[in-house]
Amino acid sequence: MKISGKYVMDAPVEKVWKMINDPGVLEKITPGVKRLISKGDDQYEAVSEVKIGPVRGRFEGALHLKDKEEQQRMVVALDQKSRMGNALAEIGIQLHPLEDGQTEIHYTGDVKMSGMLGRMGQRIIGGVVSTLSKQFFAALTELIQKEEEE
Amino acid sequence: MGKFIGKSIKRREDARFLTGKGKYTDDIKLPNMAHAAFVRSPYAHARILNVDTTAAKIAEGVVAVYTAADGPGDYGVPCGWQVNFKNGDTMREPQHPLLAKGKVRHVGEPVAIVIAESLALARDAAELVDVEYEELPAVTNPKAAMQAGAPLVHDDFPDNAAFDWCIGNDRAEVEAALDNAYHVTELEFINQRLAPNAIEPRSYIADYDVNGDKWTLYTSTQNPHLIRLLLCAFVLGIPEHKVRVVSYDVGGGFGSKIYHYIEEALLTWVSKQIARPVKWTADRSEAFLMDAHGRDHVVKSKMGFDKEGNIVAHLTDEYCSMGAYLSTFAPAVPTYLHGTLFQGLYKTPLIHVNVTAPFTHTCSVDAYRGAGRPEATYLIERLVSKGAKEMGMDPAEIRYKNFIPPFDGVNQPGYQTQVALQYDSGNYAPVLEKALEAIGYEDFRKEQEAARKEGKLLGLGISTWIEGCGIAPSAVVGALGARAGLYEVGHVRVQPTGKVSVYTGAHSHGQGHETVFAQFVADKLGIPMDDVEIVHGDTEQVAFGMGTYGSRSLAVGGSAIIKSIDKVLEKGAKIAAHKLEAAVEDLEYAEGKWTVKGTDKSIAFGDVSLTAYVPHDYPEGLEPGLDFSSFYDPSNFTFPFGAHLAIVEVCAETGKVTIKRFVTCDDVGNIMNPMIVDGQIHGGVVQGIGQALLEEVVYDESGQMITGSYMDYAMPRADNVPMIETHNTVTPCPHNPLGAKGAGEAGTIGSTPAVVNAVIDALWHLGVKDIQMPLTPQRVWKAMNQN
Repeated sequence: MKISGKYVMDAPVEKVWKMINDPGVLEKITPGVKRLISKGDDQYEAVSEVKIGPVRGRFEGALHLKDKEEQQRMVVALDQKSRMGNALAEIGIQLHPLEDGQTEIHYTGDVKMSGMLGRMGQRIIGGVVSTLSKQFFAALTELIQKEEEE
Repeated sequence: MGKFIGKSIKRREDARFLTGKGKYTDDIKLPNMAHAAFVRSPYAHARILNVDTTAAKIAEGVVAVYTAADGPGDYGVPCGWQVNFKNGDTMREPQHPLLAKGKVRHVGEPVAIVIAESLALARDAAELVDVEYEELPAVTNPKAAMQAGAPLVHDDFPDNAAFDWCIGNDRAEVEAALDNAYHVTELEFINQRLAPNAIEPRSYIADYDVNGDKWTLYTSTQNPHLIRLLLCAFVLGIPEHKVRVVSYDVGGGFGSKIYHYIEEALLTWVSKQIARPVKWTADRSEAFLMDAHGRDHVVKSKMGFDKEGNIVAHLTDEYCSMGAYLSTFAPAVPTYLHGTLFQGLYKTPLIHVNVTAPFTHTCSVDAYRGAGRPEATYLIERLVSKGAKEMGMDPAEIRYKNFIPPFDGVNQPGYQTQVALQYDSGNYAPVLEKALEAIGYEDFRKEQEAARKEGKLLGLGISTWIEGCGIAPSAVVGALGARAGLYEVGHVRVQPTGKVSVYTGAHSHGQGHETVFAQFVADKLGIPMDDVEIVHGDTEQVAFGMGTYGSRSLAVGGSAIIKSIDKVLEKGAKIAAHKLEAAVEDLEYAEGKWTVKGTDKSIAFGDVSLTAYVPHDYPEGLEPGLDFSSFYDPSNFTFPFGAHLAIVEVCAETGKVTIKRFVTCDDVGNIMNPMIVDGQIHGGVVQGIGQALLEEVVYDESGQMITGSYMDYAMPRADNVPMIETHNTVTPCPHNPLGAKGAGEAGTIGSTPAVVNAVIDALWHLGVKDIQMPLTPQRVWKAMNQN
């Protein structure tokens, strides 16, 4: 299943880049993530619990940040297993600086699902992915605002 | 026509169906019954590295957890039909284990079964079974499966082929005729994979009784005796007389409930292990993954015509998927139920069909309503209509020109086709004439022309179909690789009071046997319908039977009952002659009584039956009782035929197809109950429309089914279907006593090409010559806008 979207953050590229590369931040803002254990070399072991509509369950597996180009792009590779099926994804993330100190984030990727996840179909899973990404960016925005206030 | 035969008598069974009182397997709740849930593979192809059931076994309410290591049914489920390679090599037959061993080969294949006190607890515990897989590459398209380097479904079978097969004339001769033809029409397409979608999901309860070491298996099957035979003799090695198979009401089958499934064998095995009854009912998701699919042919066809439009040759090469394992009748479907129908209704002198049947990492493919014959009809009828368009001929005219001339099978012999079968009787032009008249063909062409000027896209599609049903002569199918006979059993038990119990080996899963069979039994015996009870679906009550599929119930099952009725009347006449002090030859039987010809001396059926059971004043040497069972093995298949016409409007802006009218004229031989025949045609037509416009099972490249729910698998709904206008002609079957040919699959076979031909007719002037089914608005729009 192909996914893509964009989001405008009210923060400069350097700041956004730094935050999305910080495992502590990722652990906080990624929806459902309970634990993110660094294995070094941008490899992580992730445990998350998702509960959106019919998708409910505990996911476990690898998360890898790779093909990084400082403040420009990287690829998030996921290999998550759950009782309701497994998800294998590569999501490319691109950052574009905007004139007023904002940053536009583009993401585009391919998610392969198996088991019940696979059979639920794009209409449901597409909606779930869209909700999760909205939550992610909303949490990131919130965190940036909080830091600014501090 | 008698008092009941030929009348639209309302169905007896509908009162219970329509008030929710049907007795389906899932309605049965036995004391102390446990529930099963399956752990199924999320991968299309993977090595099983480890199965850890520790957590599941100690979970709340769990009775037992089993994996392949526990050894259920060593041999797996068998295949019921053997089609060998063209070069004589034996068909490759993989073992189909009850629980996956070492490897999984399609998404949904069961790896473990969890038994618990409730369904919810069984499902919760199933989630605790930890299976470690190593995912492997998969192949889902049957043509791709045959290419070098394709992932292997079974390691022992090096090119994925289960068998290859051909029928008809010499290939070189057919190719030469195509080379010399005035015009050759070509088509390449996929006859897409369909899910059967019976309303009632498969459901099984196995009940082992320690007292007597006996089992009862309640199962939603179309053929209880065949299930018992396969289960006992081939899978579990249980003596057949120790097992009773019961199949009360079944909510639709369409072929998918013919087969012996691993779940029903496994439950039977489990029930003895736990010495308790155990139930499993598929959820809709499991039905999509596991109920044998239909179609899935990759097709390449050529049809040659002479200058006048006569068909001179037809050559087709196909890749027909078997799925990961051979389902019960799978090898027969793309071969003897498909290639043998390539004559269609036409005089085509040269035909060659070549079929390659590979394994793929998908659910098994087997018979689905029509089974091989819709696929044959679709490609023939698309070729004929496309050929007519390309040659500037009228699609009706080209059909009339090519129809086989009428033959009744009595005064004229049956028609010998180029593809092995001999048609029983046929009169093809009248079905098309009647249908064209009903739809107003000439007027439509004017209307179409006028509409086109206003930018409206109207089209009319014709399909004239034939099918081989009433399966089948046992010796013939045996020679073709069937591992079973295909006769039927009819048992007529006249009770002392003259009431009649009829036990049939045919099985009703929506067809209305309880009504139709009672109609002709009552007529033949001259008694009220209320005096006749039809019993089916229980191996302890019905002596034997081969079940219902291939539109065989009336033609084969009905004929077996007629044989027993003849025996009842023959013996009854002896008793009547004794009581009336007359000779048997002087008696005539009518309206429920024997009368001495030319007198008013008579004796009623009930008095004769009472005498048979209270034989005080009785013919010497005659056995008491009035109870006969008969086996009927047909001498040929039956060949119903018909014409289906569709008028469609294609939305010029969106490509959406709307069916404006659908007219059928079918000849199914003698008709017992016109309302029920209409109902069969209606249902079949709707299923055929489903294939034409909406339905398709899609696997992605990794073998995941991405159409596993009704959100992504589009079933036809009321708003996709117009009022269906049905008509009939009657050409009796010459070789069975009821003259019946069968109506169960007709609708599905005729309708699909009619709809697609109509859409192409609407779009031909835009350069559209073919569109891959299903004809979704996206595909139609794309085709309209390609040039």
